[in-house]
Amino acid sequence: MYVSFLTRLLDVGIEHIQNIIMDMAKLSERSVFASIESYERGTSIIKKQIFEWSENLRLMQEEVSDLSIELIARYQPVATDLRFIRSCMEIAYGFSRFGRYSYDIVDVLETMGSISNCDKSYVLEMSNTVREMILLSINALQSRDKNAAQKLYQMDNTVDALYRRYVHEIINPQEQQSISKEFLDKTLRCYISALLILRYLERISDHACYIGDSVYYIATGTSSPRR
Amino acid sequence: MSIGKKEIGNISHPISYSYNDNNATTERYKLIIRNLFAWFGIKQVLKNINLDIKSHIATAIIGPSGCGKTTLIRCINRMHEMIPDARAKGSVNLDGVDIYDKAVDPVTIKRRIGMVFQKPNPFPTMSIYDNVAAGLKLNGIRDKKLIDDIVRESLESAALWEEVKSELNKPGIGLSGGQQQRLCIARALAMQPEILLMDEPTSALDPIASSKIEELIHSLKKDLTIITVTHNMQQAARVSDYTAFMYLGELVEYGPTKQIFENPRNELTERYISGKFG
Repeated sequence: MYVSFLTRLLDVGIEHIQNIIMDMAKLSERSVFASIESYERGTSIIKKQIFEWSENLRLMQEEVSDLSIELIARYQPVATDLRFIRSCMEIAYGFSRFGRYSYDIVDVLETMGSISNCDKSYVLEMSNTVREMILLSINALQSRDKNAAQKLYQMDNTVDALYRRYVHEIINPQEQQSISKEFLDKTLRCYISALLILRYLERISDHACYIGDSVYYIATGTSSPRR
Repeated sequence: MSIGKKEIGNISHPISYSYNDNNATTERYKLIIRNLFAWFGIKQVLKNINLDIKSHIATAIIGPSGCGKTTLIRCINRMHEMIPDARAKGSVNLDGVDIYDKAVDPVTIKRRIGMVFQKPNPFPTMSIYDNVAAGLKLNGIRDKKLIDDIVRESLESAALWEEVKSELNKPGIGLSGGQQQRLCIARALAMQPEILLMDEPTSALDPIASSKIEELIHSLKKDLTIITVTHNMQQAARVSDYTAFMYLGELVEYGPTKQIFENPRNELTERYISGKFG
């Protein structure tokens, strides 16, 4: 019997979704990194640009959803194709959230004003881990690396621990500070801005983990083992 | 809808014997196929099929043309051997009894295992009523009321009664394609089979008629075990609880339909159901 390996109509749609997803990956990575750099420099001039990127990511997420539904309705995909399409909807959401949180980070800078004298060590430490996680999740997506999920969860544990440590520190100050209005004003601004940004980074970390889960599901057809 | 269990005279079903194979229990499986081979002359078409069919579910058999799907179901009701030069070897255990045992009457097997074919084939010279009653009369049933009751119940079970109840004396071939196929199903159901084999039952029908047959399969499996051969992957996914994928006379993969269509274990299965070959 002759067995021919056909090019399917479905493949055109799948390739299109794949391309959008990879474009979203690059854009969301750029967006998060730019927002972290803004924090490092203490400037929010890039806010308008990041907002545009965030909006683009949202529109691309909608495009992925629409295309996915169309492929399911038209071609009734099964097996790996179906898992891939379903996962792309979840992954697209994750990348759109990256964009949104990037905007939120820059918005904090604008709202809080100058933070040039604030201690940025926690944010910078967490942002380094989050950057690695973003790159790892994108690489996992490209290479369908099902083992990435486990690594991402380990890194997420580090992020969570750092967040909890910071929260603990600010609600249990170690030194007796003289409470001047000026000092209080500055401290509050630093604490609140850092807390908010750490929270957004922690959420980005969670979504990177979810992307790892989706890659695991595409590759194996089963849910990622619980951490 | 369920088929009323009527006493139908001389037709009796064999007593279930205890099954002495170690690999399956009769309580869970209606049909257990072991080491089944089949040939047309010297051409081998089935190669060592091992399959356990559970009771009261719908099982779909899928695979490319020529893979042995129809031959398999024809071996299940001993129709295969009716073809000149065709033979089969192996065991097909129905409720613990090997239907290929010399002591088993093939006619009895064909009563217990009904079959519906791809092209609707009502008896052309008979009315709707007579089509359904034919099998009963051939088996010596004479009680008119009993026959009336069984005809009505069978047509109800085949979801055809409401459409034909006022014209039972009209010719069966006067019905639409979909109605004819449901008439054939009613004819099979009149014999109160335990298993219903369906060989591409909707391939000759339009989408609406096909949809009615699929709904019928869903309702019938409360009372019967159904095995359906289909080329339509989406249909197999819709109607069946279990799916068997065959290729070149062999059983490649068998499992719950959800697992087969979401996460098949065998790469060949994945390629076939994804339309990458066929």
